[in-house]
Amino acid sequence: MSVLSAGQTQGSKRRHNLKMADRKAGFGLLAPAGIVILAVTIFPIVYSIIMSFNNISLTTNGFAFQSNGINNYKTVFGSPVFWHSAWFTVYYAVVTVFVELFFGLLIALAINNVKKLQGLSISIMLIPWALITVISAQMWDYIYNGVYGVLNAVAESLHLIGQPVTWLGQNTSAVIAMMVADIWKTTPFVVIILLSGLQMIAQDYYEAARIDGANSWQLFWKVTFPLLRGSIALAGLFRILQAFGVFDLPFVLTQGGPGTATESLAILGYRTLFEDLHFGVGAAVAVSTVILILLACLIFLAGFRSMVEEEAA
Amino acid sequence: MNVTVKKIATMITLSASIAALVTGCGSANHAVPAGSDSSSTSGSGGSQAVDDSNASGNIVWAAAPITHTGLRKKLIAEFEKQYPNIHVTLQSQPADTDTDRSSLTTTISGGSSQSDVYMGDVVWPAQFGNAQLAEPLSDVLPKSFFSRFSNGLIEGATYDGKVYAVPFFVDTAFLFYRKDLLKKYNLPVPTTWEQVKSDAEAIQKAGGAKYGFVWQGGDYEGATCNFIEYLADAGGQVLNGNQAQLTSSAANQALSFMRSLITSGVSPKAEDTFQEADAENVFDQGDAVFLRNWSYAWSDSQNSADSKVVGKVGVVALPTFAGQSGSGYSCVGGWDLYINPHSKNLKADLQFIDWMTGQQAQSILAKDYSEIPTNKTVADDPSLKSVSPIFSIIPNVKYISRPTQTPNYPKVSQAIYNNINQALSGSVSVSSALNHANSQVNSALNSSAGL
Repeated sequence: MSVLSAGQTQGSKRRHNLKMADRKAGFGLLAPAGIVILAVTIFPIVYSIIMSFNNISLTTNGFAFQSNGINNYKTVFGSPVFWHSAWFTVYYAVVTVFVELFFGLLIALAINNVKKLQGLSISIMLIPWALITVISAQMWDYIYNGVYGVLNAVAESLHLIGQPVTWLGQNTSAVIAMMVADIWKTTPFVVIILLSGLQMIAQDYYEAARIDGANSWQLFWKVTFPLLRGSIALAGLFRILQAFGVFDLPFVLTQGGPGTATESLAILGYRTLFEDLHFGVGAAVAVSTVILILLACLIFLAGFRSMVEEEAA
Repeated sequence: MNVTVKKIATMITLSASIAALVTGCGSANHAVPAGSDSSSTSGSGGSQAVDDSNASGNIVWAAAPITHTGLRKKLIAEFEKQYPNIHVTLQSQPADTDTDRSSLTTTISGGSSQSDVYMGDVVWPAQFGNAQLAEPLSDVLPKSFFSRFSNGLIEGATYDGKVYAVPFFVDTAFLFYRKDLLKKYNLPVPTTWEQVKSDAEAIQKAGGAKYGFVWQGGDYEGATCNFIEYLADAGGQVLNGNQAQLTSSAANQALSFMRSLITSGVSPKAEDTFQEADAENVFDQGDAVFLRNWSYAWSDSQNSADSKVVGKVGVVALPTFAGQSGSGYSCVGGWDLYINPHSKNLKADLQFIDWMTGQQAQSILAKDYSEIPTNKTVADDPSLKSVSPIFSIIPNVKYISRPTQTPNYPKVSQAIYNNINQALSGSVSVSSALNHANSQVNSALNSSAGL
């Protein structure tokens, strides 16, 4: 972090010395990339926002827009279906991200400290992350299946359950089952980020702390954790972004069921847009979801900012 | 900079006008077809209402796999033999109906002419017609064309006075049962739902089968189909005019019975996650006495590669509740053929759907693949009875349609199956599930763009 800020100050000094001609050339060189970003990012976002303020009907000539102000948002925020999905998405994201950070940290520490066969353990650990979600979700579907599922077979043979349980057919167990599948799949991602963070911590700190008589518990809380906060924030941020948009897992595992128990905002948006063909309302769901994600990221970062700044100093 | 902007603007305007020209040509085509000789019967082709002898070129047929994967290619090959100037490419669609619909609505609403003719569910015409995702066929085909279909089918493909699809094949539900088990325990083939339940319980108790009755209670369209059958048997209906009728005592009887199948252990606990394949799998593995499924389950159960119950299966029309006469109601399902309004080769498209609903194609569907034909002449052919026992039962079947005349049908159905599914899982009581379903169906019907 300190290296980065040093670089930044040098950069800003240099910028002052640039001549106008150079600056023009610079913008010229940036333009192609800027146009691409404009075309693939800014345009669709603006288009979605415009859609969300219109009543849209399909015609053979494409979309017909008819402005209807904030009516779509009124429909969205006035609907218990939306608030149910929003609430589900929020607690799903909070629980999975927290558990993933916790296990991710434990595993990263273990891999970092056990030097033997490190390459092999990292490769094995990464397998769940490398699998395509729809495939791993289908695999979990076989595990959770209420009739021929592996989980029931194992639990029954261990006498943990008397008769088969329909894991995906009950509200609470379906939500938990989905969280487990998500945690299994994305913890490796957290591990990789934290592991690289751990390996960047200079050994000198540990030596100095040991000379001062610190035990391993103190080493972790006084050296490792403070220096790892930046990586934790990064992993957490990436995970929040993804967890709020969770789609493939419920799409394959539960189709949002039972009832609407696992209907995430992304599934709701998909249904509204592509099944009901209510494009305006669907766009309003999408825009609201984006705002919710931004808010979540801001809250998460605000919680971490002080620590990160502390570390950078 | 300004020059470039102008250039780009010119290019956009140009391409837009080219697009407009092309579309213009497309719509000019629309007036062309519609031959007149609907009565003439050519050797194998059946009645030909469409005579585009000069139709040629390539068209793409988008269709989900029809239980027998070879069926689509077989039909295409026979069509091309008859019309060598038209080349048909098969574009395989997702097997899941909702995913299939999303894929089609996304591409067609985006203006794509990638697929020319597509196969779609019988519940789509209102939504697709309303959103202009399907060519109104009554505008481009003569009235006489539609007389080839069995009664009532064209009404199902009509929305707001226009026909948006031609019926391709029909499907409906039956009760499949284990002949051997009923014989062994000396039980008659049930004619009421109460009997299905008590027979199943008796056979389960005696150790004859793990489960009694398997059906579709998952959180999807299939649960709507299953529910409206019990509902109709109990004397109820989903809608009366534009008002939901799901708080009736009939609805309560229907859903309470479905739930009791699970609580009594007659149906597996996982019943509330079951789609067709799950239920069929349990039955074909020999683990259930009764199965509610569509007609294809007959040939699947007689295929020794996947089934352990070959030769042990019987099939009848669905039963009804005690006290009602005749057999029970069966949900009308099946598939239609639609034309993409952006298609560039309407002549060939019409020739293709004409042949596909003609006698030759419909005979292939019925005789080689035991699908229920939509062509009246083929459906009435007495020789079909030797193909599958299904064909002898059909005259006794009472049909119940889903309330598909509204473009918001997907919402209506979601309101039904989400709440039915909740009640089946035991999360909410039968009456509160029905209250919820009732108000959600009403709001789906009365709002043009609800959530």
